[in-house]
Parts: sequence; C-alpha cells; structure tokens
Amino acid sequence: MTAPAALISARGVVKRYGPLTALDGVSLDIAPGEFFGLLGPNGAGKSTFMSLVAGLRPVDGGTLTVDGAGVSAGSRAAREALGLVPQHIALYADLGAETNLRIFGELYGLRGRELRSRIGEVLEAVQLADRRKDLVKHFSGGMQRRLNLAAALLHRPKLLLCDEPTVGVDPQSRNAIFEFLQELNRGGLTVIYSTHYMEEATRLCSRVAIIDHGQILALGTIDELLARLPFEEEVRFPANEATQALLGELEGHGELAVKEGVARFRPRTDYPLSRFYGLTEGRGLSARLFTSQRPTLEALFLQLTGRNLRE
Amino acid sequence: MNPILVLVRKDVTLFLKDRASLVLTFVVPFVLIYIFGQVFGVNQTDKGPSGIPVAVVNQSDNPAAARLVEALKGETAFKVLTQYVNDDKTTRPLREEDLVPMMRDDDFRFALVIPADVVQSSTIGIHLKAYSNPRNAIEAQTVNGLLQKTIFTHVPELLGESLRARALDYLGQERIDRFDAAIADAVSRAFGGDREEILKDIHNGAYGIGSRRPATAGSSSPSPSDVLSRVIHLDNVQVVGKDVKSPEATMLVGGWAIQFLLFALTASATALFRERDAGIFQRVLSAPVTRRDILLSKFLYGILLGLVQLVVLFFAGHLLYGIEVLPYLAPLVLVCVFAAAACTGFGMLIAAVSPTPEAARGIATFVILVMCALGGAWFPVSFMSAFIQKFSRLTVVYWSMEGFSRVLWSHASLAELGPTLGILALMAALTMGVSVWLFNRGNIFD
Repeated sequence: MTAPAALISARGVVKRYGPLTALDGVSLDIAPGEFFGLLGPNGAGKSTFMSLVAGLRPVDGGTLTVDGAGVSAGSRAAREALGLVPQHIALYADLGAETNLRIFGELYGLRGRELRSRIGEVLEAVQLADRRKDLVKHFSGGMQRRLNLAAALLHRPKLLLCDEPTVGVDPQSRNAIFEFLQELNRGGLTVIYSTHYMEEATRLCSRVAIIDHGQILALGTIDELLARLPFEEEVRFPANEATQALLGELEGHGELAVKEGVARFRPRTDYPLSRFYGLTEGRGLSARLFTSQRPTLEALFLQLTGRNLRE
Repeated sequence: MNPILVLVRKDVTLFLKDRASLVLTFVVPFVLIYIFGQVFGVNQTDKGPSGIPVAVVNQSDNPAAARLVEALKGETAFKVLTQYVNDDKTTRPLREEDLVPMMRDDDFRFALVIPADVVQSSTIGIHLKAYSNPRNAIEAQTVNGLLQKTIFTHVPELLGESLRARALDYLGQERIDRFDAAIADAVSRAFGGDREEILKDIHNGAYGIGSRRPATAGSSSPSPSDVLSRVIHLDNVQVVGKDVKSPEATMLVGGWAIQFLLFALTASATALFRERDAGIFQRVLSAPVTRRDILLSKFLYGILLGLVQLVVLFFAGHLLYGIEVLPYLAPLVLVCVFAAAACTGFGMLIAAVSPTPEAARGIATFVILVMCALGGAWFPVSFMSAFIQKFSRLTVVYWSMEGFSRVLWSHASLAELGPTLGILALMAALTMGVSVWLFNRGNIFD
C-alpha cells in the first residue's frame, strides 16, 4: 500500500524579511487528514510558514505546494481548499456574528440558501447559534475565538490553518475549541496547528514539527519525538538537607539540575528507576517527596535549543 | 512628585513621541502663515492681489482711452489681455464679441470695453462697458474696486474731452478756438504760466476736474467720486451666473463641500490600518481575493461614500439656502463622482505613505489644510502670487471647486465640463496608481 500523496509539500522553503531570514530551508510533507502541529516559541517562523501556505506571501526560495498546486501563484482552487484562522480576532467587531459570516462566506462564492445553511451549521457547531445577531464586540474573548474559527470553515475547506487560535482564551473555551477541531479532524479535515504551548501540541497533534529560528529542529509523531530524549522519565523532589546525600549519589547516572529549591533528575536509559527508588527507601525518604513524569516536548525543545519554549 | 505633575509629564512625553502631533503643532502653522502672508502681501512691496486676468477691448481712437488702457496695464493687480490668440497661434486685437464665449470658458472673469463713443457729443460724461463673471464674491468686489479706482483716476481727462466735444457741437470749431484762446489768455494773466501750454491743455480737455479738493467731513458737497460716478456711464453686463438663485451660497458651497469630502474620505482610507491591525486582511487574502480587489473595493466605496455625502450636502444647501440643485442634478452628480474619486485617491495616497494611522491623520490634516488654502476654498486663487497659483492648479480642491462652480454657477454643459472632469479623473488615476504601488511594497497587507 502506497502512502497518500502529501496535501502540503515544502522543499527547502526560504522566506526573508529584509535582512531577517524567517524560514531557512523548511522541508516537510503533511498528508491529508493529519492533525499537524508547528511547535515553537514566538518568532520561530510558525506564522510565516502559515502565511506562505495560505498564499499571503510568496516564498523566496524552495517550493511549496498545496494539493499539488503552487500556492504562491494564488490560484483560486488552492485558496478555496484552505481556511485560515488568524492569530488575531479577524472579525468586524461592530457587526453581528451572522453578518460577519455572511461577508466571509460570500468571499468564497457562497450565496443564498447554501450560505444561510452553512452559517447556521457553523454557528451551531461553535455553540453561538443563539447569539447570531449579537455584535461581535459584545462577545467574550472565547466566543470571539470560536467565531473566528467558524468563519474559516464556512466554505468546507480541505485544509484548516490554525495560527495560535487559543491565545488569550479561557480554559473552558479552549477545551471547546480543541474538541471541535478534533471532531473536524476525525471527519477528514487536515489541520495545521501552530502553537507555543506544548500541551496543546501533545493533546491535539498526530505529528509535530518543532521549529526555531526558521528551521525545523525535529519532526515526527509525539512518541517519535520523545524517543529522541536520552531519558524516559523525570523525577522531581525538593533539594534540601534531607535529600542532600541523595543528590550526591545520583551524579553520573543521568541529568541532574537544581533550580529554585527543586531538584530534577532525568535518569539515563541504562539506569532503571527501580534503582533510584531503592536508594530513596534506603535513606528513609518518604515516597511523597518524589513526583515522576514522562518527558515532554518542552524537555525536547530544551534539549534541542538550550532554551524554554516560552523564553 | 505630585501625581498631577507626573500625569502632565506623561502627556508631554506622549506628545513628543507623536510625530503627527509634532508636525501639526510646529510645521502646519508655519506653512499656513506663509500662505496667508503670500495672499495678503505681508512684508511685500506690492500688496494685494496680482495678475487677475482682465480683458480690455478699446474701440476708441481717443488718445485718453489708450492712456486708460496703459494705466490698467500698469495696475499690478491685473493681467490685462488685449489680444485674441487664433488657432494658428497668430493674434489679433480682442473684440467685444469675443468676450462672452471666452468668459464662459473661464479664460477670464472680468472685461472692460471702451466703446468708440466713449466720449459722446450728445451728453456730458463718458461711456464704458464692464463684463463680469462674479463667481467669487471677494474677487469680484476687489476687481470692481480696482477698476473704478483706475477709471476714476483717468476720467477727468476723458471728461474734458467730453465737454469739448459737446461745446464743439453747439458752437462750431471757429468759436471754440476763439473761446479757448480767450480762456488761455485770462488764465495766463490771472494766474501766470505760459499761455501756449495752457492752450494746449485746454485742447486736450485737461480742465483740472480731477484736482478738485475732496469735500470736508460733514459737508453736503458731493465728493469727487460722487461727481465722477454721475458723469461716468458704466454699463455692467454679468455674463455668467446672473440667473443663479442664492448667488452667495452658490459661490461658497463648493469650498464647503470639498473640505468636508477630503476629511471624510481620508478618514475612510485610514480604516485600512484598522483592518490590517485586526488581521482581517489575512483572512480576506486567504480567500480567493487579491490585494488589487481590496484596494479597488476601497476606491469604489470611497466614491460611493463621497457621492452620497456630497449629494446630501448640496441638498442641505438647497433646503437651507436655496441653492439650485435639481435642474443641474445630472452634471452635479457627475462632478461629485469625479471629485469623490480624486479625493478617495488622495486619501488612499495618504494612507499608503503613512506608517501608522496616527501619522496618516496628522499628514492628512496638514495636507488638507494646505490644499484648501492653495486651492481656493478659503480665498480666491487669483489673490495669490503667480508662483503659488501654479501649485493651486495641482490640488484636488481647485479642480473640484472648479467643477462645482461650473455646474452650479455657470450651468456648464457636459461637454464644457469635460476638461475639468478629465483632470479630476487623471488625479484619481495617478493617486490610486501610486497608492496601489506603495501598498504592494508596504506592510499594509502583512
């Protein structure tokens, strides 16, 4: 069985803004139906990549195709195939929700009954049907975000570009957005989701590209990425008088860091955690002092760049 | 520090960081004062207007009439036109029948005809004819005043001619010659002076009427100008605008309209910044929509908005001041469309050259005020120096007002409006062309 043709294919894509190289030789493929994450800190090049895919800017080098067509040519077919959820609330705040949707639907050529029906469907889907006449400026931040998403779905795109769509959203609305996106993805919609929250990428995305300074640092499924870490678990405990001796015994068996009174131990793969817990028991340290967790994309980013995602 | 002072210092700091406010505060006053100074001749040797075109047709062979023409040419406020330029660029003296069509074409708005019978033997006094298109009240009053001054200064000479002509008619040449000789003898004996010189003056009609002393305050004696106005028969012919109802409002409405339009449409164009900052262009441009589509839609919206605003404004003028609009609705709407297009283009250009909405507002206020001053919205263009007048004709204000005036004052036909509409269309095309180019190079769509 052959792999499906890539919906998006980037080969050595370069984008410059004057002297700044925002994307520096980005290559990746995104298959139809994927929920693909672009994870990186602010200024990493995520939004630039999104804007190139959306055809908002031309690429300066390399090739980028959506559904086999060059996007920089700005063909109508390529644009109709995608929906963009911009980072900003890209809506007319002084107009009603329904009026906003009508404007954006008409830009995609929707008219009459079909347009009315789609407006109803997307408003229902984002749970704003009962507020359809209300002015957008009277909506909460979360409601505005949901409408921002709905406006990108009116024309039934094959590909949805979500550029940090949950910035400034309360947890409840964020959860609603996540569930809605997952449902759309299950329905076959390809989603590219950019974020600097590793929790979002971990929860939503089947594959993730970690991007920084315009370059892809790592690309793969979450498991594949985490497997690149030289440890499988991280244990945290208070760094105090009681654990002082333990700290000394752990040296040489993995990564050990102490910051703000908290010790973080990432054992080497050849150092089983059972040995660690044997040591703690031997020293009479209560098990409640220790918390362990699986490694995260945050840790991978730190490993790859020496910086935190939100720095 | 006192909280009030802290807050004041904060406002001063914000002000100093706002380039638009700085320009409005420190640059605009200099420019406007310079323009006003130019208009009113501050610190200039020749104060007042200069170079207002006045056509003069001299049909008289009287030497005094020729001297009147020369005196008008010496008046710096006037640019006296006496020649008609044919299609083949050859010239001939202007004729009275040339005046009306040329005034309708706005080649000049004032003309003086010195008829062949300027000095008549049947009546005492002189006969002149003035043609005018008083579409600007300030300009018309100024020109009339200056014309009267120049004529009155030279009338005594012509009036002497008139008296002699009348006496000649009654007495015959021989008796007149004897009478002149007797008068010259008597004057020479009584007051001294050369008899031959006095006789020569008498033959030239120089009876010293203009040297009479003015009447003292409270005196019931008529002043020299009263006397002169009774003996000068000046036929006034208003070539254009004589049928206009509510002439004062009709003269002014164009200036009001264009200022209103410029501010409104510039504000509309700067809305581009709001849409950019809200990220709406990203969403729109990801749809099957091009940058050109967005700019063209803004341009068409500007025309529509401008048209509606102008129509409402002219109807307000109609209802409040009786400006006649309905009979000229079609050409007026046409001028409104072209003026709105030019103003929209101007607004788009301001938005295209401005890095921020604040800067756009500052630049717009500055340029609009300067354009209104230069373009004739506040005072007649003819009052400005020839150098400044060159810039007047580069402004949207000048040509829009020209269009409104030609419709509402001159009742121009569509064909007559052609050149004005063409220039407004050219301005719209140029400003939009440059704006689109700048927008595509700038960051408005980022």
